[in-house]
Amino acid sequence: MNLEQQLKLQAWVDGELPEAEARQMAAFVQGQSEAQTLVGELRITKGFLAGNEPEAKLPESGDFYWSKIQRAIEQEEKVAARAPGASWTFAWRRLMAPISGVALIAFLSVLSFNVFRQQSVDDGANLLVEVENLSEDIGSISYRSQSENMFVVYLYKKDVQEAENDPIAEPVDDTFLQ
Amino acid sequence: MSRRLFSRRAARCFLALLLLAGGTFNTFAANLKLEAKLIWGTDDEKSPDPEHKEVDAVTREKLRKVFKWKNYFIVNRVVKEVPSRSSNQFKLSPDCTIEIKELEGPKVEVKLIGKGKEVHKTTLTISKGQSVVYSGDDKNQSAWFVIITELDEK
Repeated sequence: MNLEQQLKLQAWVDGELPEAEARQMAAFVQGQSEAQTLVGELRITKGFLAGNEPEAKLPESGDFYWSKIQRAIEQEEKVAARAPGASWTFAWRRLMAPISGVALIAFLSVLSFNVFRQQSVDDGANLLVEVENLSEDIGSISYRSQSENMFVVYLYKKDVQEAENDPIAEPVDDTFLQ
Repeated sequence: MSRRLFSRRAARCFLALLLLAGGTFNTFAANLKLEAKLIWGTDDEKSPDPEHKEVDAVTREKLRKVFKWKNYFIVNRVVKEVPSRSSNQFKLSPDCTIEIKELEGPKVEVKLIGKGKEVHKTTLTISKGQSVVYSGDDKNQSAWFVIITELDEK
């Protein structure tokens, strides 16, 4: 007897087969001792389950029982709604937590801006400029124009400047523009 | 019912702001976008080279207040980025190159290179709106200028 036949047999024992198939199965069981044994076992098992299945019984009528649950839920919702102080405090904390975080970040940003930019620009030490002539033939004069926000380095040929004491006398390099 | 101090949206906003703040810190160590212009100053009304364009009115007035020449023409303009703590070269003419190095501070080291030789070095703090100008005399009572400015756009 294969698995399909066993399952069909179980369905027959449970009374789930159509009438025609049930008749065929009854005839089949009569001719098969193995099937009869299985049917016997299935009926015993079914009897055990049917007889010992726990049955939950409500302590009161169904309508009354469910209405009690509904009333309990409604009561809980009312209690939550009736506590404005607590919810207001929580809402305030919930609002303040991100605000304080944002304020902290803004503070750090402003601080970093001051540290990295403003202070460095405004400090007197940062107005200092290092100039260095890298060529022996070239001299330089540098000055800062505060009104035009410009730092100028004027280059001239040293020998000519020394000879004439005039730094604007000789071009440093005529070919720069070429 | 569970209640959380931080809603998910607030936590996401906080995280985004934190990243933004991190970006702000990085901005100060970011690349410098600089413009270097080679300019010819003269009292002549026009440049003999038709490719030379006159500088804009603001620059002209600025230069007129500091230097004696009446007219200023752009010979070449180079815009480049100088990576943080690194350097870049601005070739303005076959014989004139400017090398700019970004230093801690923030400061910059500007090096003038003429005909392949290092001529002059200036180390200073550069800020937006400020110009660093190298200048020298040229033929026929004219002058050359190299103007370096930091650009606003990143």
